[in-house]
Amino acid sequence: MLKATLRSFLAHKGRLALSALAVLLSVAFVAGSLIFSDTVTRTFDRLFASTAADVTVSPKQDLTSRVPTGVTPTLPASLASLVTGVDGVAATHVDVAVNNVTVVDRRNAPVGPTTGAPTIAKNWYVTKRSPVKLTSGHAPRGPGEALLDADTARHKHVRTGDTLTVLARPGSFRVRVVGIATFTTTNPGAALLFLDTPTAQTRLLGRPGAATSIAVDAAPGVSDNVLKQRVAARVRSSAYDFKTAGEQAKSDIDQLGTFLDVIKYVMVGFAGIAVLVGVFLIVNTFSMLIAQRTRELGLLRALGADRRQVRRSVLTEALLLGLVGSTLGLATGIGLAAGLIRLMSAFGMNIKSTEMVIGWVTPVSAYVVGVGVTFVAAYLPARRAAGISPMAALADAEIAGVGRPLRVRAVAGAVVGALGVAALAGCVRATRTAPAASLLGLGVVLTLVATVIAGPLLVRPVIRVLGAVFPALFGSIGRMSQRNALRNPRRTGATASALMVGLALVAGMSVASTSMSKSFDQQIDKTLGADFVVQNSNFQPFPQEITDRVRATAGAGLVVRQRFTPVAARLPDGTRVETTAAGYDPRLDDVAHITYARGDTAAALADGAMAMDLTFAKDHGVRVGSTIPLRFPGGRHTDLRVGALTNQGGSENFGMQGGLFFGMATLQKYAPDGQDSALYVNTAPGTPKDRLRSHLGKTLAPYPQVQVRDQADYKKLVHNQISVLLYLVYALLGLAIVIAVLGVVNTLALSVVERTREIGLLRAIGLARRQLRRMIRLESVVIAVFGAVLGLALGLVWGVCTQQVLALRGLKALAVPWGTIIAVVVGAAVVGVVAALLPALRASRMNVLAAIAHE
Amino acid sequence: MSTAAEHARGRAEPDGTAARARGLTKAYGSGETTVLALDAVDVDITRGRFTAVMGPSGSGKSTLMHCLAGLDTVSAGQVWLGDTEITGLKDRELTRLRRDRIGFMFQSFNLIPTLSAAENITLPMDIAGQRPDREWVDQVIDTLGLRDRLGHRPAQLSGGQQQRVACARALASRPELIFADEPTGNLDSRSGLEVLGFLRQAVDDLGQTVVMVTHDPGAAAHSDLVLFLADGRIVDEMARPTADTVLERMKRFDTVRAAFDDTSGREK
Repeated sequence: MLKATLRSFLAHKGRLALSALAVLLSVAFVAGSLIFSDTVTRTFDRLFASTAADVTVSPKQDLTSRVPTGVTPTLPASLASLVTGVDGVAATHVDVAVNNVTVVDRRNAPVGPTTGAPTIAKNWYVTKRSPVKLTSGHAPRGPGEALLDADTARHKHVRTGDTLTVLARPGSFRVRVVGIATFTTTNPGAALLFLDTPTAQTRLLGRPGAATSIAVDAAPGVSDNVLKQRVAARVRSSAYDFKTAGEQAKSDIDQLGTFLDVIKYVMVGFAGIAVLVGVFLIVNTFSMLIAQRTRELGLLRALGADRRQVRRSVLTEALLLGLVGSTLGLATGIGLAAGLIRLMSAFGMNIKSTEMVIGWVTPVSAYVVGVGVTFVAAYLPARRAAGISPMAALADAEIAGVGRPLRVRAVAGAVVGALGVAALAGCVRATRTAPAASLLGLGVVLTLVATVIAGPLLVRPVIRVLGAVFPALFGSIGRMSQRNALRNPRRTGATASALMVGLALVAGMSVASTSMSKSFDQQIDKTLGADFVVQNSNFQPFPQEITDRVRATAGAGLVVRQRFTPVAARLPDGTRVETTAAGYDPRLDDVAHITYARGDTAAALADGAMAMDLTFAKDHGVRVGSTIPLRFPGGRHTDLRVGALTNQGGSENFGMQGGLFFGMATLQKYAPDGQDSALYVNTAPGTPKDRLRSHLGKTLAPYPQVQVRDQADYKKLVHNQISVLLYLVYALLGLAIVIAVLGVVNTLALSVVERTREIGLLRAIGLARRQLRRMIRLESVVIAVFGAVLGLALGLVWGVCTQQVLALRGLKALAVPWGTIIAVVVGAAVVGVVAALLPALRASRMNVLAAIAHE
Repeated sequence: MSTAAEHARGRAEPDGTAARARGLTKAYGSGETTVLALDAVDVDITRGRFTAVMGPSGSGKSTLMHCLAGLDTVSAGQVWLGDTEITGLKDRELTRLRRDRIGFMFQSFNLIPTLSAAENITLPMDIAGQRPDREWVDQVIDTLGLRDRLGHRPAQLSGGQQQRVACARALASRPELIFADEPTGNLDSRSGLEVLGFLRQAVDDLGQTVVMVTHDPGAAAHSDLVLFLADGRIVDEMARPTADTVLERMKRFDTVRAAFDDTSGREK
């Protein structure tokens, strides 16, 4: 029996190759993402573990904000001398490191990375843990000297002796590069600039006696933990955090984690799509193989093989396929990870491919996914194979699956579909985000399952309509292709399903993201009243110097500053909410249109007052006049009276839960170290907008970190952020299509084989090769378009429901990307044409006589 | 098509040849294992006649038909359909020729399962993008008694009915020549007789030219002329055959064959 299985596996290798490719793709993405994240994590683990001091003392961060505030927490440098006296301390170092500076060259071009990685300026000292060593020049001495890291120097063509400008919070200053420091560890992608300690303290922090942390080296024989406890006991202050090297490394990695997580999730998304679509392909391949081998299997049964043996034979084939696919996928995954690592180096993160980490989890997951998916997908066809009666050997080769009624499918599809629609309806009617989102998820899954089950039932009506124009356009060839597609609804349905799943997801996501774009547009139109916004494209805050320059620009009228700070609010209903609040200058009304349910801007920005979102206030029992105790970073706190309630919608986004804001004076009093995040600028009376814009452009030329935007530019900025999501969607679409094409090729190839005699007859009575190819191509197109239409319909429904959930968060606009949808349908037709290439060629090359004589 | 119209007048006198072959040779394989399916055959198919090709298995009768019909390539010799030499034509030209000038009937699997009877009948003309001659097609359909079966799919028709539809298709475009390859091979005797009757009618009443390959003497008896093939050569012919005379002639093959007894089994 095993021999028969192996023979059959090898005999069908062409068809199985396509399935193996699907397995390969899913496994490759799973393995690739695991290897990549393992490698990156290990690299940074090593980097942070090797560079972290035995014990680090840093200011405690009691409140953190998801919105950058520009604050660099500090502690007194004198703490170092206190710690030096502790028993077991070998040495202490004062660390002054600031990661929100901008460094520009003589032509005002940024020297640091522009892809999001930080530019870090810090004080220069050397220990055995330093990640860099001085490779040329000398250490910085005095206010005008600096070292630059070698990678940055090379990329930006900076040489020793060049002058750079550092834009830091206290103000910008010039330095001369006096030496180059080279990474001895992996360069994590940041640019490093080193100053001597006093310069760093005064010029970066603006406080001569301050530091950002104290690094403590342990004496031999003293463990990190013991030392940490001794240091903590000596300092005795709750204002500081004490961390051992291990703890410090871990928290550094956690901070980096979010960025790496994004990459991981993207890869998992690809793996998911590949698995999902691949399952359809594998199910279909095995079903077809079994249909083709009905007589053969019947003969095996007639010769005495029992059901279990037949089933096992098919499953063994699946196992072999899974093993082959997983092995190839694992290899491809390694290549994929290597590619990703190289891509990362384009972003400045230099990880050596030779340091690639392949943990035991990777091959295990690869085989579990690959073999598991194949096995699960082959299970149903295997059961069907086992059900073949020995009589099948004697009967005429009847194509399995054609005759069996679809009643079970109809009932199951209707039930699951009804549940799915109910869930989606519930989601649309829900008034709270959390239940709406879970109903949406449930509805999406159920409607997808229902459509897959009922797919074959939809084949007839939908293809009748889609193919209705074929006979008119292509005569009898069109008629035959349309009917060929209808011939085996199960097969057509399953083939189209692969395409459908991918397109449904993509359509849903593109409706959601287009709606988001439109909502943001509307919100910007509605709320932004300023002529210009001066802002960093990453929303990073910028130094006071820039604000001063903007204010002094000729033609600039009103300038309203925006700052953020993390706060913790104790609400009347007893909950404590940590969120981010904004501070504004007075005359906010002139640059923004804010809708108030109660109160007005004056009441909101008044001394001792604040504004809050109406819905949030209602949820927590807050009214106008309520007094809310607020905590600020560094232990500062105050009580603010709610002066106004806003009705903006969408304020829950971006970590700004509750939509809290108050006067700039209040913010500066309780969060004094912040920097401005945005400036809203109006023209002075009598100044044309264009002129102010060009003046601002000149003023801000030395500050490449900020840009001037009018309303249209601002929208573009927001669109670009959403586009990133869309590009991802398109990449997913591409992958789904690649796998779906394999499925269509598979189906057509089998159909061609099954219809050999028919093709022979057609050729004998005068069908030209070209016409035959067209017939197969049209069949392929109609199957692909069927899948696309089903997928788009489903995706549109999902997208509209998703938008309803987003609407609860204030994104009220619905936009359907019709252009994309039409392009997808056209694209599906192209996919059909491409998929038909090989099967059509094969059919047209058939020998007419051999085809007619074919059994 | 103009020539076909002339034949339609009736079958007064045979007027020339519908197809002919000179030195037609078909070899399979090469070197030591070469098998000659046709060995320098000269043949003329007379217009407006019903010609039967008979011979034992492996005599090359199907190969002869395939070569005459442009379905198969020849190893040597020439074949004409009317005045057109078809040896040396490219696939595209041969396909057109089959489509426009030849009708086919096969032993089994004659119809496209997805098309109705009516659609099957007009298929060659649909493929060619020509409008069928409605009057003629109606006449054919009525002659074959298919009027009430036109909307049916092949699966809904009996074997005899399917073969009648195939016959109608072969006639529908008024081809110069109809080739029938064992058209009664898969039918019970009554349906077989019916189909033979229709082929006869097609020649007598509709003025068509039919070449039928068969190994059934009873079927051959419906023809005007029987050509006997043995070992790739035409060894005899018989005008106005009857089942008995044909059977008699065939029996002689068997004795000849018994004497040689080294025939190579090449059929189809």
